Amino acid sequence: MNTPVTLYRDLFTELEKSLPGYDSLPLRGLRQEGMQHFMDKGFPSQRLENWKYTPVKAISQKIYHINNHACQGLDPSDLLPYLIAPLGVYRLVFVNGWFSQTLSDLHDLPDGVRVESMAKLVKEAPDMLEPYLKNKKSGSDQGFTHLNDALWSDGAYIHLSPGTRLERPLHLFFLTATSKKSMMTLPRNIVVAGADSHAWIVESFASLGHFPHMTNAHSTIVLHDHAHVHHLLHLGENHSAQHVGTVESTQKGDSRLDSQLFSFGGERTRQEIHVQLAGEQAECSLDGLFIGNGRQHMDFHTSIHHTHANTRSQQLYKGILAGHAHGVFNGIITVPPHVHHTQSNQLSTNLLLSDTAEIDTKPQLEINSDAVQCSHGATVGSLDPEALFYLQSRGLDASTARNLLIQGFAEELLQRITPKLVQNWIEKHFNKGEYHHES
Amino acid sequence: MNILEIQNLQVSVMNKPILRGLDLRLGEGEIHAIMGPNGSGKSTLANILVGRGDYQITAGTIRYQGEDLIVRSPEERAMAGVFLAFQNPVEIPGVSNARLLKEAFNAHRRYGHLPEMDAMTFRTHLQERAKHLGLSDDWLLRPINVGFSGGEKKRNELLQMLVLEPNLAILDEIDSGLDIDALTDVANGINALRNNLRSMLLITHYPRLLEQVHPDKVHVLIGGRIVMTGGMDLAGRLEEQGYGWLSEVAA
Repeated sequence: MNTPVTLYRDLFTELEKSLPGYDSLPLRGLRQEGMQHFMDKGFPSQRLENWKYTPVKAISQKIYHINNHACQGLDPSDLLPYLIAPLGVYRLVFVNGWFSQTLSDLHDLPDGVRVESMAKLVKEAPDMLEPYLKNKKSGSDQGFTHLNDALWSDGAYIHLSPGTRLERPLHLFFLTATSKKSMMTLPRNIVVAGADSHAWIVESFASLGHFPHMTNAHSTIVLHDHAHVHHLLHLGENHSAQHVGTVESTQKGDSRLDSQLFSFGGERTRQEIHVQLAGEQAECSLDGLFIGNGRQHMDFHTSIHHTHANTRSQQLYKGILAGHAHGVFNGIITVPPHVHHTQSNQLSTNLLLSDTAEIDTKPQLEINSDAVQCSHGATVGSLDPEALFYLQSRGLDASTARNLLIQGFAEELLQRITPKLVQNWIEKHFNKGEYHHES
Repeated sequence: MNILEIQNLQVSVMNKPILRGLDLRLGEGEIHAIMGPNGSGKSTLANILVGRGDYQITAGTIRYQGEDLIVRSPEERAMAGVFLAFQNPVEIPGVSNARLLKEAFNAHRRYGHLPEMDAMTFRTHLQERAKHLGLSDDWLLRPINVGFSGGEKKRNELLQMLVLEPNLAILDEIDSGLDIDALTDVANGINALRNNLRSMLLITHYPRLLEQVHPDKVHVLIGGRIVMTGGMDLAGRLEEQGYGWLSEVAA
């Protein structure tokens, strides 16, 4: 019987030889292992706690075509609406899952910073990539990741030598040019930030056209001692798109990760962010802002593991849901026994703009150590009628008043974006947000 | 000409009558004080004038500049020049004072068929007025009323009034919870806006503010009706004797 799982296996058999890394036995082995795990476990079931609210069937039942070559014929001007800025930003562009040299711009990269297409690098230095491609997790909840392990096409490899700084943001832009033939893209990114290095990395996803497509993305971020990485994720695909993504980050001592997620697009969007604070004084901050309208599904899962003493984490996720949109926030913080003096704060706040919008939010703590500080909480509310009236009494019409309050709700997260260039870009996307139309 | 004419106004909240036939005439350039015990309907009157929901107007008329006010939305009233300084202004996280003032100011300009003021000119316009009230520039960047003390909230209401320059300002207990210095600042703000076209209704419990503002008339509101109208001497008598002696008049 042809199930989606067996169809992807057939697709894998057909494509395997053309996928990057086939010539390297270890990498070929990793892909095969990924496919084997995927065959064994399949897509996750909604019976699993972490997938309880995710409409997995709706995401996985459709069979997507996988493209094994780059899309030609895109003009740089097609990209303009999606770019942070034409200048002042390093840019790697991937179209339909594959690196496009002509659309990218890596001029003046500082010495000691290596930015490459994974597909290219895997031919030149497969051994360098192998440790980062090895997926340590396997389990019944890992189906999409295993599929990426097996079928990933391309992505960015970023390596910052110790002490290097990327002064300009680096934009990894994943664009799907949609067509009637629905496509799945499987980007794979690796960021290795050497000791004392510093970088701003923006990962963004968008669609050209309105046909359905699927993205199954995976990024690994490794921060060595004292490294500081800003990782901003912008999910802005079309309203027929399915997006499943995972970020896995490991942090050494005194490193800092600032993760910011802005999710405005897709029909169903699920993003996981997992952080290991695996060195003393490591610190991470995970921010998220998601807006759903119509029948959009917005689904976010974070985990922070304080494996070392004196580590700190903070999280603020805000959801704005209108129409029949459904939001999910599931965040877990773990502190194992004998890990002391950790600090963690986690907050999920949500604004429902209609009676039919829904949020399932579950902040969780698994603290097995005594000497820790932590707090967590969740709130769900609607626009304050007193505040609306106040603004109207000053001459603002109802819709301006409403938008101002919604912006006010998001402001804290928008204000934290750096640099200014990126902040303006996200604000532009936010202000276009479809919460404007009440439904 | 009267800027405001209220006739036989009857208003209920959840079917409970609050205003029971209130009559009031306010001339252009006049300042009237409305005094009265708690629960007499003072704040209801203020809220009704700016078009707050949750109230049922069961009878009566309100004419502003000769036209029916009741049919207008809150924002239309604001743009036509009606302003309420709220007794307990709401806190709005994430929206700065400057942002609100800019939106509101430009809404007023559009309504008056005037071009919007450019950002730099508006900023100067704003800073001048903030300074007048002893408010720092960074005040303007703070979110509306968030973490403000009682006195700061009142000043913020006055700042909005100074920027929007209403024709009819209703100040609902603008003097409550203020120390003497703050009260003087508030009185100065009111006097600064005073001119022969702008009218104000001061709702208050205390004559202290009135001594610095000198209203043209003082009305006493009891049980949802104006039961007595007089001058500053009436305010003085209320301070000395309370409202008890007026109960018979009200009955």
